[in-house]
Amino acid sequence: MAGLEGKTALVTGAGRGLGRQHALTLAERGAAVIVHDIAEVGAEETAGMVRKAGGEARVAVCDITDVAAIKEAFGALGTVDIVVNNAGTHEARLIEAISAAEFKHMMDVHVKGAFFTVQTLLPAMKERRGGKIINTASAWGQCGWHTDSHYCGAKAAILGLTKAWAKEFAPWGIRVNAVSPGVVMTEMTRLNRTDEEIRDLAEKHIPVGRLGLPEDISYAVAYLASAEADFITGQVLPVNGGEFIVGI
Amino acid sequence: MAGLDGRVVLVTGAGAGMGRSHAQILAARGADIVVQDIGEPSARETAEMVLSAGRRAHVAVCDVSDGEALTAAIEEAVVALGPIDVLVNNAGIHALTPFDEIEEAEFDRIFAVNVAGSFNAAKAVLPGMKARCRGAIVNVASTSGQIGTPNDTHYCASKGAILGLTKAWAKELAPWSIRVNAVSPGPIATEMTVRNRGWEGIRERAEKEIPLRRYGMPEDVSHAVAFLAGDGASFVTGQVITLAGGLAIVGI
Repeated sequence: MAGLEGKTALVTGAGRGLGRQHALTLAERGAAVIVHDIAEVGAEETAGMVRKAGGEARVAVCDITDVAAIKEAFGALGTVDIVVNNAGTHEARLIEAISAAEFKHMMDVHVKGAFFTVQTLLPAMKERRGGKIINTASAWGQCGWHTDSHYCGAKAAILGLTKAWAKEFAPWGIRVNAVSPGVVMTEMTRLNRTDEEIRDLAEKHIPVGRLGLPEDISYAVAYLASAEADFITGQVLPVNGGEFIVGI
Repeated sequence: MAGLDGRVVLVTGAGAGMGRSHAQILAARGADIVVQDIGEPSARETAEMVLSAGRRAHVAVCDVSDGEALTAAIEEAVVALGPIDVLVNNAGIHALTPFDEIEEAEFDRIFAVNVAGSFNAAKAVLPGMKARCRGAIVNVASTSGQIGTPNDTHYCASKGAILGLTKAWAKELAPWSIRVNAVSPGPIATEMTVRNRGWEGIRERAEKEIPLRRYGMPEDVSHAVAFLAGDGASFVTGQVITLAGGLAIVGI
Protein backbone atom coordinates (compact mmCIF):
# COMPACT_ATOMS: atom_id res chain seq x y z
CA MET A 1 0.00 0.00 0.00
CA ALA A 2 1.17 3.48 -0.78
CA GLY A 3 2.14 5.38 2.32
CA LEU A 4 2.05 9.10 2.92
CA GLU A 5 5.76 9.61 3.51
CA GLY A 6 6.97 13.10 2.74
CA LYS A 7 3.44 14.54 2.77
CA THR A 8 2.09 17.17 5.11
CA ALA A 9 -1.53 16.87 6.20
CA LEU A 10 -3.71 19.46 7.91
CA VAL A 11 -6.58 17.99 9.92
CA THR A 12 -9.11 20.52 11.21
CA GLY A 13 -10.92 19.84 14.47
CA ALA A 14 -8.28 17.30 15.43
CA GLY A 15 -8.31 17.99 19.16
CA ARG A 16 -10.58 15.01 19.79
CA GLY A 17 -12.84 12.41 18.26
CA LEU A 18 -12.62 11.57 14.57
CA GLY A 19 -10.14 14.36 13.83
CA ARG A 20 -7.73 13.07 16.46
CA GLN A 21 -7.90 9.57 14.98
CA HIS A 22 -7.34 10.95 11.45
CA ALA A 23 -4.19 12.72 12.68
CA LEU A 24 -2.91 9.52 14.31
CA THR A 25 -3.68 7.31 11.29
CA LEU A 26 -2.21 9.72 8.72
CA ALA A 27 0.92 10.07 10.86
CA GLU A 28 1.18 6.30 11.22
CA ARG A 29 1.27 6.13 7.41
CA GLY A 30 4.12 8.58 7.26
CA ALA A 31 2.55 12.05 6.94
CA ALA A 32 3.66 15.02 9.02
CA VAL A 33 0.45 16.35 10.54
CA ILE A 34 -0.75 19.79 11.43
CA VAL A 35 -3.27 19.44 14.23
CA HIS A 36 -5.87 22.17 14.13
CA ASP A 37 -8.47 22.84 16.78
CA ILE A 38 -10.26 25.76 18.35
CA ALA A 39 -9.01 24.54 21.74
CA GLU A 40 -5.26 24.56 22.19
CA VAL A 41 -5.31 21.96 24.97
CA GLY A 42 -6.93 19.29 22.79
CA ALA A 43 -4.71 20.11 19.82
CA GLU A 44 -1.56 19.85 21.93
CA GLU A 45 -2.77 16.58 23.39
CA THR A 46 -3.30 15.10 19.91
CA ALA A 47 0.09 16.39 18.72
CA GLY A 48 1.65 14.78 21.79
CA MET A 49 -0.01 11.46 20.96
CA VAL A 50 1.29 11.65 17.37
CA ARG A 51 4.84 12.38 18.54
CA LYS A 52 4.68 9.64 21.15
CA ALA A 53 3.81 7.19 18.35
CA GLY A 54 6.92 8.34 16.48
CA GLY A 55 5.23 10.82 14.16
CA GLU A 56 5.75 14.46 13.37
CA ALA A 57 3.16 17.03 14.48
CA ARG A 58 2.63 20.74 14.91
CA VAL A 59 -0.35 22.67 16.15
CA ALA A 60 -2.47 25.41 14.55
CA VAL A 61 -5.15 27.00 16.70
CA CYS A 62 -7.98 29.14 15.37
CA ASP A 63 -11.74 29.53 15.36
CA ILE A 64 -12.84 27.96 12.08
CA THR A 65 -15.79 30.39 11.82
CA ASP A 66 -13.48 33.42 11.83
CA VAL A 67 -12.21 33.94 8.29
CA ALA A 68 -9.46 36.40 9.31
CA ALA A 69 -8.25 33.92 11.93
CA ILE A 70 -8.22 31.07 9.36
CA LYS A 71 -6.17 33.17 6.96
CA GLU A 72 -3.73 34.05 9.72
CA ALA A 73 -3.36 30.54 11.12
CA PHE A 74 -3.34 28.57 7.85
CA GLY A 75 -1.75 31.19 5.59
CA ALA A 76 1.63 30.67 7.21
CA LEU A 77 1.70 26.86 7.21
CA GLY A 78 3.93 26.43 4.16
CA THR A 79 3.42 23.33 2.05
CA VAL A 80 0.24 21.39 2.79
CA ASP A 81 -0.37 18.35 0.56
CA ILE A 82 -3.48 16.96 2.23
CA VAL A 83 -6.34 18.90 3.79
CA VAL A 84 -8.86 17.01 5.88
CA ASN A 85 -11.83 19.26 6.59
CA ASN A 86 -13.11 17.56 9.69
CA ALA A 87 -14.05 20.36 12.13
CA GLY A 88 -17.73 20.14 12.94
CA THR A 89 -20.38 20.46 15.58
CA HIS A 90 -23.73 18.86 16.19
CA GLU A 91 -26.80 19.40 18.28
CA ALA A 92 -30.08 17.55 18.22
CA ARG A 93 -32.82 20.13 17.64
CA LEU A 94 -36.27 20.38 16.14
CA ILE A 95 -36.65 23.19 13.66
CA GLU A 96 -38.70 25.34 16.06
CA ALA A 97 -35.87 25.24 18.56
CA ILE A 98 -33.12 26.34 16.17
CA SER A 99 -32.37 30.03 16.54
CA ALA A 100 -30.99 32.12 13.71
CA ALA A 101 -27.69 32.35 15.55
CA GLU A 102 -27.50 28.56 15.99
CA PHE A 103 -28.36 28.04 12.34
CA LYS A 104 -25.61 30.43 11.27
CA HIS A 105 -23.09 28.84 13.62
CA MET A 106 -23.84 25.37 12.24
CA MET A 107 -23.32 26.56 8.65
CA ASP A 108 -20.24 28.57 9.57
CA VAL A 109 -18.40 25.75 11.33
CA HIS A 110 -19.00 23.17 8.60
CA VAL A 111 -19.36 25.08 5.36
CA LYS A 112 -17.69 28.44 5.78
CA GLY A 113 -14.87 26.85 7.76
CA ALA A 114 -14.10 24.30 5.03
CA PHE A 115 -14.60 26.90 2.31
CA PHE A 116 -12.12 29.43 3.64
CA THR A 117 -9.64 26.80 4.82
CA VAL A 118 -9.43 25.61 1.22
CA GLN A 119 -9.39 29.13 -0.19
CA THR A 120 -6.41 29.90 2.04
CA LEU A 121 -4.41 26.80 1.09
CA LEU A 122 -5.35 26.62 -2.59
CA PRO A 123 -2.83 29.06 -4.13
CA ALA A 124 0.12 26.98 -2.90
CA MET A 125 -1.57 23.76 -4.06
CA LYS A 126 -2.20 25.24 -7.50
CA GLU A 127 1.40 26.37 -7.70
CA ARG A 128 2.65 22.86 -6.93
CA ARG A 129 -0.03 21.40 -9.22
CA GLY A 130 -1.30 18.81 -6.80
CA GLY A 131 -2.96 18.11 -3.52
CA LYS A 132 -5.74 16.18 -1.87
CA ILE A 133 -8.76 17.65 -0.17
CA ILE A 134 -10.95 15.34 1.88
CA ASN A 135 -14.18 16.76 3.23
CA THR A 136 -16.31 15.22 5.93
CA ALA A 137 -19.91 14.76 4.90
CA SER A 138 -22.38 12.63 6.84
CA ALA A 139 -25.07 10.03 6.25
CA TRP A 140 -27.44 12.63 7.70
CA GLY A 141 -26.57 15.00 4.86
CA GLN A 142 -27.27 12.23 2.34
CA CYS A 143 -30.46 10.86 3.85
CA GLY A 144 -31.81 13.46 6.24
CA TRP A 145 -33.01 12.83 9.79
CA HIS A 146 -36.13 13.73 11.73
CA THR A 147 -34.26 16.29 13.80
CA ASP A 148 -31.10 18.42 13.29
CA SER A 149 -32.10 19.89 9.93
CA HIS A 150 -29.44 22.58 10.26
CA TYR A 151 -26.78 19.86 10.60
CA CYS A 152 -28.23 17.86 7.67
CA GLY A 153 -28.27 21.00 5.54
CA ALA A 154 -24.67 21.87 6.40
CA LYS A 155 -23.47 18.35 5.60
CA ALA A 156 -25.34 18.32 2.27
CA ALA A 157 -23.63 21.61 1.46
CA ILE A 158 -20.30 19.82 1.96
CA LEU A 159 -21.32 17.38 -0.80
CA GLY A 160 -21.97 20.34 -3.11
CA LEU A 161 -18.59 21.88 -2.34
CA THR A 162 -16.85 18.55 -2.88
CA LYS A 163 -18.33 18.03 -6.34
CA ALA A 164 -17.84 21.61 -7.51
CA TRP A 165 -14.26 21.82 -6.23
CA ALA A 166 -13.40 18.50 -7.88
CA LYS A 167 -14.33 19.99 -11.25
CA GLU A 168 -12.83 23.42 -10.62
CA PHE A 169 -9.48 22.18 -9.28
CA ALA A 170 -8.97 19.17 -11.60
CA PRO A 171 -6.89 21.15 -14.14
CA TRP A 172 -4.29 21.60 -11.39
CA GLY A 173 -4.35 17.92 -10.47
CA ILE A 174 -5.98 18.65 -7.12
CA ARG A 175 -8.35 15.86 -6.06
CA VAL A 176 -11.38 16.55 -3.90
CA ASN A 177 -13.46 13.82 -2.28
CA ALA A 178 -15.57 13.28 0.82
CA VAL A 179 -16.00 10.60 3.42
CA SER A 180 -19.49 10.20 4.78
CA PRO A 181 -19.59 8.58 8.21
CA GLY A 182 -22.66 6.89 9.66
CA VAL A 183 -22.99 6.27 13.38
CA VAL A 184 -19.52 6.29 14.88
CA MET A 185 -18.57 5.47 18.45
CA THR A 186 -16.89 8.65 19.68
CA GLU A 187 -16.69 10.07 23.18
CA MET A 188 -19.77 12.10 22.31
CA THR A 189 -21.75 8.98 21.35
CA ARG A 190 -20.84 7.38 24.67
CA LEU A 191 -21.97 10.48 26.55
CA ASN A 192 -25.27 10.79 24.71
CA ARG A 193 -26.46 7.19 24.71
CA THR A 194 -26.67 4.36 27.21
CA ASP A 195 -24.88 1.07 26.51
CA GLU A 196 -28.24 -0.52 25.94
CA GLU A 197 -29.25 2.11 23.40
CA ILE A 198 -25.99 1.58 21.56
CA ARG A 199 -26.46 -2.20 21.50
CA ASP A 200 -30.02 -1.79 20.33
CA LEU A 201 -28.98 0.58 17.55
CA ALA A 202 -26.28 -1.78 16.34
CA GLU A 203 -28.50 -4.84 16.36
CA LYS A 204 -31.63 -3.32 14.89
CA HIS A 205 -30.42 -0.67 12.49
CA ILE A 206 -26.86 -1.29 11.36
CA PRO A 207 -26.58 -4.27 9.00
CA VAL A 208 -23.02 -5.17 10.01
CA GLY A 209 -24.18 -5.25 13.64
CA ARG A 210 -21.85 -2.71 15.18
CA LEU A 211 -21.21 1.01 15.34
CA GLY A 212 -18.34 2.47 13.39
CA LEU A 213 -15.05 3.16 15.11
CA PRO A 214 -13.10 6.35 14.42
CA GLU A 215 -10.44 4.20 12.69
CA ASP A 216 -13.00 3.02 10.13
CA ILE A 217 -13.38 6.58 8.93
CA SER A 218 -9.66 7.32 9.18
CA TYR A 219 -8.78 4.36 6.92
CA ALA A 220 -11.11 5.76 4.25
CA VAL A 221 -9.51 9.21 4.65
CA ALA A 222 -6.04 7.68 4.38
CA TYR A 223 -6.99 5.78 1.23
CA LEU A 224 -8.40 8.89 -0.45
CA ALA A 225 -5.31 10.86 0.64
CA SER A 226 -2.90 8.35 -0.92
CA ALA A 227 -1.58 8.12 -4.48
CA GLU A 228 -3.61 4.92 -4.84
CA ALA A 229 -6.75 7.06 -5.12
CA ASP A 230 -5.30 9.43 -7.73
CA PHE A 231 -8.01 8.67 -10.30
CA ILE A 232 -10.80 9.39 -7.82
CA THR A 233 -12.23 12.89 -7.62
CA GLY A 234 -15.63 14.36 -6.84
CA GLN A 235 -16.70 11.18 -5.05
CA VAL A 236 -18.23 10.34 -1.71
CA LEU A 237 -17.09 7.30 0.26
CA PRO A 238 -19.82 6.36 2.74
CA VAL A 239 -18.62 4.42 5.78
CA ASN A 240 -21.72 3.40 7.66
CA GLY A 241 -21.94 -0.37 8.09
CA GLY A 242 -24.64 -0.62 5.43
CA GLU A 243 -27.14 1.53 7.37
CA PHE A 244 -27.38 4.05 4.56
CA ILE A 245 -27.20 2.68 1.02
CA VAL A 246 -28.23 5.39 -1.40
CA GLY A 247 -27.33 7.32 -4.55
CA ILE A 248 -25.40 5.46 -7.15
CA MET B 1 -2.08 -0.98 7.21
CA ALA B 2 -4.47 -3.80 6.59
CA GLY B 3 -2.95 -6.20 4.09
CA LEU B 4 -4.47 -9.30 2.61
CA ASP B 5 -1.91 -11.76 3.96
CA GLY B 6 -2.95 -15.33 3.30
CA ARG B 7 -6.45 -14.42 2.12
CA VAL B 8 -7.77 -16.49 -0.76
CA VAL B 9 -9.20 -14.26 -3.47
CA LEU B 10 -11.20 -15.39 -6.48
CA VAL B 11 -10.89 -12.97 -9.39
CA THR B 12 -13.18 -13.76 -12.33
CA GLY B 13 -12.04 -12.76 -15.80
CA ALA B 14 -8.49 -12.53 -14.51
CA GLY B 15 -6.80 -13.57 -17.76
CA ALA B 16 -6.45 -10.05 -19.10
CA GLY B 17 -6.95 -6.34 -18.53
CA MET B 18 -8.29 -5.17 -15.21
CA GLY B 19 -8.83 -8.68 -13.87
CA ARG B 20 -5.16 -9.48 -14.36
CA SER B 21 -4.21 -6.24 -12.66
CA HIS B 22 -6.47 -7.09 -9.68
CA ALA B 23 -4.79 -10.49 -9.39
CA GLN B 24 -1.33 -8.92 -9.44
CA ILE B 25 -2.06 -6.10 -6.98
CA LEU B 26 -3.92 -8.35 -4.53
CA ALA B 27 -1.09 -10.90 -4.70
CA ALA B 28 1.39 -8.11 -4.02
CA ARG B 29 -0.57 -7.46 -0.82
CA GLY B 30 -0.23 -11.05 0.26
CA ALA B 31 -3.30 -12.76 -1.20
CA ASP B 32 -3.42 -16.18 -2.88
CA ILE B 33 -5.39 -15.98 -6.11
CA VAL B 34 -7.89 -18.19 -7.87
CA VAL B 35 -7.46 -17.03 -11.45
CA GLN B 36 -10.74 -17.65 -13.24
CA ASP B 37 -11.04 -17.04 -16.97
CA ILE B 38 -12.75 -18.51 -20.00
CA GLY B 39 -9.40 -18.75 -21.80
CA GLU B 40 -6.81 -21.15 -20.38
CA PRO B 41 -3.57 -19.73 -21.82
CA SER B 42 -4.26 -16.22 -20.53
CA ALA B 43 -5.37 -17.55 -17.12
CA ARG B 44 -2.11 -19.52 -16.88
CA GLU B 45 -0.12 -16.40 -17.72
CA THR B 46 -1.79 -14.46 -14.89
CA ALA B 47 -1.22 -17.39 -12.53
CA GLU B 48 2.49 -17.30 -13.42
CA MET B 49 2.56 -13.63 -12.43
CA VAL B 50 0.96 -14.43 -9.07
CA LEU B 51 3.46 -17.25 -8.48
CA SER B 52 6.38 -15.01 -9.30
CA ALA B 53 5.06 -12.54 -6.71
CA GLY B 54 5.57 -15.36 -4.21
CA ARG B 55 1.89 -16.22 -3.71
CA ARG B 56 -0.11 -19.34 -4.49
CA ALA B 57 -2.30 -19.45 -7.59
CA HIS B 58 -4.94 -21.81 -8.93
CA VAL B 59 -6.31 -21.67 -12.44
CA ALA B 60 -10.06 -22.13 -12.95
CA VAL B 61 -11.09 -22.28 -16.58
CA CYS B 62 -14.81 -22.01 -17.34
CA ASP B 63 -17.54 -19.70 -18.58
CA VAL B 64 -19.01 -17.69 -15.65
CA SER B 65 -22.41 -17.80 -17.31
CA ASP B 66 -22.43 -21.59 -16.81
CA GLY B 67 -23.35 -21.84 -13.14
CA GLU B 68 -22.69 -25.56 -12.79
CA ALA B 69 -19.27 -25.40 -14.41
CA LEU B 70 -18.33 -22.37 -12.32
CA THR B 71 -19.47 -23.99 -9.09
CA ALA B 72 -17.46 -27.12 -9.87
CA ALA B 73 -14.39 -25.04 -10.74
CA ILE B 74 -14.69 -23.09 -7.49
CA GLU B 75 -15.04 -26.30 -5.47
CA GLU B 76 -11.76 -27.51 -7.00
CA ALA B 77 -10.13 -24.18 -6.22
CA VAL B 78 -11.20 -24.41 -2.57
CA VAL B 79 -9.59 -27.85 -2.34
CA ALA B 80 -6.39 -26.41 -3.81
CA LEU B 81 -6.10 -23.08 -1.94
CA GLY B 82 -8.67 -23.16 0.86
CA PRO B 83 -11.98 -21.37 1.35
CA ILE B 84 -12.56 -18.18 -0.62
CA ASP B 85 -12.28 -15.04 1.55
CA VAL B 86 -12.80 -12.50 -1.19
CA LEU B 87 -14.68 -12.65 -4.48
CA VAL B 88 -13.91 -10.05 -7.16
CA ASN B 89 -16.68 -10.24 -9.77
CA ASN B 90 -14.71 -8.81 -12.65
CA ALA B 91 -15.61 -11.00 -15.64
CA GLY B 92 -17.55 -8.96 -18.15
CA ILE B 93 -18.13 -8.39 -21.83
CA HIS B 94 -19.02 -5.34 -23.84
CA ALA B 95 -20.41 -4.71 -27.30
CA LEU B 96 -20.88 -1.47 -29.19
CA THR B 97 -24.21 -1.75 -31.01
CA PRO B 98 -26.88 0.90 -31.64
CA PHE B 99 -30.03 0.21 -29.64
CA ASP B 100 -32.25 -0.72 -32.60
CA GLU B 101 -29.70 -3.23 -33.87
CA ILE B 102 -29.27 -5.21 -30.65
CA GLU B 103 -30.56 -8.73 -31.24
CA GLU B 104 -32.05 -10.75 -28.42
CA ALA B 105 -29.10 -13.15 -28.44
CA GLU B 106 -26.61 -10.31 -27.93
CA PHE B 107 -28.72 -8.85 -25.13
CA ASP B 108 -28.93 -12.26 -23.46
CA ARG B 109 -25.19 -12.89 -23.75
CA ILE B 110 -24.28 -9.54 -22.12
CA PHE B 111 -26.63 -10.26 -19.21
CA ALA B 112 -25.53 -13.90 -18.97
CA VAL B 113 -21.89 -12.95 -18.47
CA ASN B 114 -22.10 -9.61 -16.65
CA VAL B 115 -25.09 -10.20 -14.38
CA ALA B 116 -25.71 -13.96 -14.17
CA GLY B 117 -21.94 -14.52 -14.09
CA SER B 118 -21.62 -12.36 -10.96
CA PHE B 119 -24.69 -14.02 -9.48
CA ASN B 120 -23.30 -17.51 -10.16
CA ALA B 121 -19.95 -16.71 -8.62
CA ALA B 122 -21.48 -15.16 -5.51
CA LYS B 123 -23.82 -18.09 -5.07
CA ALA B 124 -20.95 -20.54 -5.38
CA VAL B 125 -18.75 -18.86 -2.74
CA LEU B 126 -21.61 -18.02 -0.39
CA PRO B 127 -21.98 -21.29 1.55
CA GLY B 128 -18.30 -21.15 2.53
CA MET B 129 -18.50 -17.49 3.50
CA LYS B 130 -21.70 -17.97 5.50
CA ALA B 131 -20.29 -21.01 7.30
CA ARG B 132 -17.28 -19.00 8.45
CA CYS B 133 -19.20 -15.74 8.96
CA ARG B 134 -16.70 -13.74 6.97
CA GLY B 135 -16.12 -12.59 3.45
CA ALA B 136 -15.97 -9.67 1.09
CA ILE B 137 -17.44 -9.39 -2.37
CA VAL B 138 -16.32 -6.65 -4.72
CA ASN B 139 -18.46 -6.28 -7.83
CA VAL B 140 -17.32 -4.39 -10.88
CA ALA B 141 -19.90 -1.88 -12.05
CA SER B 142 -19.15 0.86 -14.58
CA THR B 143 -19.83 4.56 -14.93
CA SER B 144 -21.83 3.49 -18.00
CA GLY B 145 -24.33 2.00 -15.57
CA GLN B 146 -24.40 5.23 -13.57
CA ILE B 147 -24.60 7.89 -16.27
CA GLY B 148 -25.38 5.94 -19.45
CA THR B 149 -23.47 5.92 -22.72
CA PRO B 150 -24.74 5.67 -26.29
CA ASN B 151 -24.62 2.46 -28.35
CA ASP B 152 -24.29 0.01 -25.50
CA THR B 153 -27.65 0.10 -23.74
CA HIS B 154 -27.49 -3.58 -22.87
CA TYR B 155 -24.08 -3.11 -21.26
CA CYS B 156 -25.27 0.00 -19.34
CA ALA B 157 -28.30 -1.92 -18.08
CA SER B 158 -26.17 -4.89 -17.03
CA LYS B 159 -23.86 -2.62 -15.04
CA GLY B 160 -26.86 -0.87 -13.51
CA ALA B 161 -28.03 -4.31 -12.42
CA ILE B 162 -24.67 -4.85 -10.72
CA LEU B 163 -25.38 -1.82 -8.54
CA GLY B 164 -28.73 -3.30 -7.54
CA LEU B 165 -27.17 -6.66 -6.68
CA THR B 166 -24.45 -4.93 -4.68
CA LYS B 167 -26.89 -2.99 -2.52
CA ALA B 168 -29.28 -5.88 -1.96
CA TRP B 169 -26.54 -8.41 -1.14
CA ALA B 170 -24.95 -5.92 1.28
CA LYS B 171 -28.16 -5.91 3.30
CA GLU B 172 -28.97 -9.58 2.95
CA LEU B 173 -25.49 -10.89 3.76
CA ALA B 174 -24.49 -8.45 6.51
CA PRO B 175 -25.73 -10.76 9.30
CA TRP B 176 -22.97 -13.19 8.27
CA SER B 177 -20.37 -10.38 8.27
CA ILE B 178 -20.10 -10.59 4.52
CA ARG B 179 -19.49 -7.15 3.02
CA VAL B 180 -20.49 -6.32 -0.53
CA ASN B 181 -19.32 -3.24 -2.41
CA ALA B 182 -18.63 -2.19 -5.98
CA VAL B 183 -15.98 -0.32 -7.89
CA SER B 184 -17.20 1.68 -10.86
CA PRO B 185 -14.49 2.34 -13.41
CA GLY B 186 -14.83 5.11 -15.97
CA PRO B 187 -12.31 5.56 -18.77
CA ILE B 188 -9.48 3.11 -18.11
CA ALA B 189 -6.52 2.51 -20.43
CA THR B 190 -6.66 -1.29 -20.60
CA GLU B 191 -4.82 -3.14 -23.36
CA MET B 192 -8.11 -3.28 -25.23
CA THR B 193 -8.66 0.49 -25.01
CA VAL B 194 -5.12 1.11 -26.19
CA ARG B 195 -5.66 -1.26 -29.11
CA ASN B 196 -8.98 0.33 -30.07
CA ARG B 197 -8.18 4.02 -29.65
CA GLY B 198 -4.40 4.21 -29.69
CA TRP B 199 -2.52 6.37 -27.19
CA GLU B 200 -3.10 9.43 -29.36
CA GLY B 201 -6.86 8.91 -29.26
CA ILE B 202 -6.71 8.34 -25.52
CA ARG B 203 -4.78 11.56 -24.94
CA GLU B 204 -7.22 13.49 -27.11
CA ARG B 205 -10.31 12.26 -25.25
CA ALA B 206 -8.64 12.78 -21.89
CA GLU B 207 -7.83 16.40 -22.72
CA LYS B 208 -11.36 17.09 -23.92
CA GLU B 209 -13.56 15.13 -21.55
CA ILE B 210 -11.88 14.02 -18.34
CA PRO B 211 -11.45 16.67 -15.65
CA LEU B 212 -8.16 15.15 -14.42
CA ARG B 213 -7.05 15.00 -18.09
CA ARG B 214 -5.90 11.43 -18.08
CA TYR B 215 -7.30 7.95 -18.40
CA GLY B 216 -7.22 5.72 -15.38
CA MET B 217 -4.82 2.80 -15.35
CA PRO B 218 -5.99 -0.70 -14.38
CA GLU B 219 -3.99 -0.29 -11.13
CA ASP B 220 -6.19 2.64 -10.08
CA VAL B 221 -9.15 0.28 -10.05
CA SER B 222 -7.18 -2.54 -8.41
CA HIS B 223 -6.19 -0.30 -5.48
CA ALA B 224 -9.87 0.47 -4.86
CA VAL B 225 -10.67 -3.26 -5.04
CA ALA B 226 -7.87 -3.91 -2.54
CA PHE B 227 -9.18 -1.21 -0.19
CA LEU B 228 -12.72 -2.65 -0.26
CA ALA B 229 -11.45 -6.22 0.13
CA GLY B 230 -9.32 -5.43 3.17
CA ASP B 231 -10.12 -5.03 6.86
CA GLY B 232 -9.61 -1.27 6.60
CA ALA B 233 -13.02 -1.19 4.93
CA SER B 234 -14.73 -3.40 7.52
CA PHE B 235 -17.45 -0.76 8.16
CA VAL B 236 -18.02 -0.18 4.44
CA THR B 237 -20.82 -2.15 2.79
CA GLY B 238 -23.35 -1.50 0.03
CA GLN B 239 -21.22 1.31 -1.41
CA VAL B 240 -19.71 2.21 -4.76
CA ILE B 241 -16.29 3.72 -5.41
CA THR B 242 -16.24 5.51 -8.76
CA LEU B 243 -12.89 5.80 -10.55
CA ALA B 244 -13.40 8.22 -13.37
CA GLY B 245 -11.04 11.17 -12.99
CA GLY B 246 -14.02 13.40 -12.23
CA LEU B 247 -15.98 12.37 -15.33
CA ALA B 248 -18.93 10.89 -13.45
CA ILE B 249 -19.82 12.97 -10.41
CA VAL B 250 -23.31 11.85 -9.60
CA GLY B 251 -25.61 10.40 -6.95
CA ILE B 252 -24.82 11.28 -3.41
